[in-house]
Amino acid sequence: MSSSPLKDILESLIFISQEPLTVDRMAAVLEGTPGEEIQAALDELIQGYASAGRGIQIVHTGGGYIFSTHPDHDRWVRKLLQIERKNKLSSASLESLSAIAYHQPVTQAEISAIRGVDSTYTLKTLLDKKLIKIVGRKKAPGNPLVYRTSERFLQYFGLNSLDELPSEDEIGKILQEEKSSEG
Amino acid sequence: MPENVSEPIPTEEAAAAPAPPASDATDGYQVRLGIFEGPLDLLLFLIRKKKIDIHDIPIAAITRDYLGYLDRKEQINLDREAEFLFIAALLIYIKSQMLLPRETDLAEQEDPRRVLINRLLEFQKIKAACSILRDKEEDQLLQWKRNFLPPLPGESELDFTEVSLFDLAESFFLMMKRRAAADTRIIKSRDVSTEEKMKELFGLLRDGQVLDFLAYFATQESLEEALVSFFCLLELIKSRQAVAVQDELFQTIRVWIRKDARRAGHHE
Repeated sequence: MSSSPLKDILESLIFISQEPLTVDRMAAVLEGTPGEEIQAALDELIQGYASAGRGIQIVHTGGGYIFSTHPDHDRWVRKLLQIERKNKLSSASLESLSAIAYHQPVTQAEISAIRGVDSTYTLKTLLDKKLIKIVGRKKAPGNPLVYRTSERFLQYFGLNSLDELPSEDEIGKILQEEKSSEG
Repeated sequence: MPENVSEPIPTEEAAAAPAPPASDATDGYQVRLGIFEGPLDLLLFLIRKKKIDIHDIPIAAITRDYLGYLDRKEQINLDREAEFLFIAALLIYIKSQMLLPRETDLAEQEDPRRVLINRLLEFQKIKAACSILRDKEEDQLLQWKRNFLPPLPGESELDFTEVSLFDLAESFFLMMKRRAAADTRIIKSRDVSTEEKMKELFGLLRDGQVLDFLAYFATQESLEEALVSFFCLLELIKSRQAVAVQDELFQTIRVWIRKDARRAGHHE
């Protein structure tokens, strides 16, 4: 191992990664360095960015670590990129995505049944956006395609795994709030 | 050209896009059907508005309200209409089941409303998860990462997404199909040579014109002529003398000649 502190090496590795860099990948590069040591250096690094009033930060998303701009600077970043408005998912897309996330692996017919709305076109859009992927065919009449959410889906919502999807408790809380706001 | 040529499939996406999400409209009494993503959305809205317990839905009352909303619908999009009517039929079916005299009382599990209730509960959960995910999406969209970065906008002619040959071919065949359906008379047949067509097409483009892909082919007299034009166009794009660009999905494809090709003057 070189004399550079582990933290600085990790900073370089994350900087150069286009996709979230997992601790496993870091460990593979830094042969022989124990995972706990990497994690500790990583935490220190993230902390450093979070506390120093920086324009960039390291975020934990999609199961790995990646640099992002600070949310407060969104306005200026968009001006540079000449992006006037942000492309949020349509409600139909979000609804289908949410149905897939909770019911995967799932077919188009099943998603349509959950939503009560034909979802063929919405699925196509989600596939184009690479937020979902086809994982095979179901052994059922017609052998329909089976869908799952993708890695990009996790990243898109800042999640690290499907376990971080809104839980029953969180959902219950939302439903309760909706009820009381109308009462 | 039929005006909906650029949008081959009527989609829920398109129908719902301009409308605000349902939650924004719940305070107003007048609600148009367009704001509901689907029939279950509408049903949940009615249940909430009447402060009904979702586990004990008065089917007759809710069916009446539901049908009332369907009647008020201004525009009819057959695809979506069918989905709304399907749930209406389900409601009426449930009511009829409940009216049937029975010898023994129904156990809870046999409540004809069970299927609908389960669907609504599941749908309600999905919707709630959506609102949480929407917040997360908003947070994430403020944090720009390099992997989502579009290229820095410049002044080059390639500001747009160039379409692939498949996109072109798809638009072309779609249009040919429409033409075949609209016009079955064949009056004359004329030989069209690739060379002539190429000259004509290049001439059009060289004058600095931006060609509307769909409109151009609509002017072609025969299928044969259109096919020849299409091949010429593909050839021009392949040899990188022309650019084909589509601003947004389902919009027409525009074709123009590259600056350097125009300067060269001739395409040979």
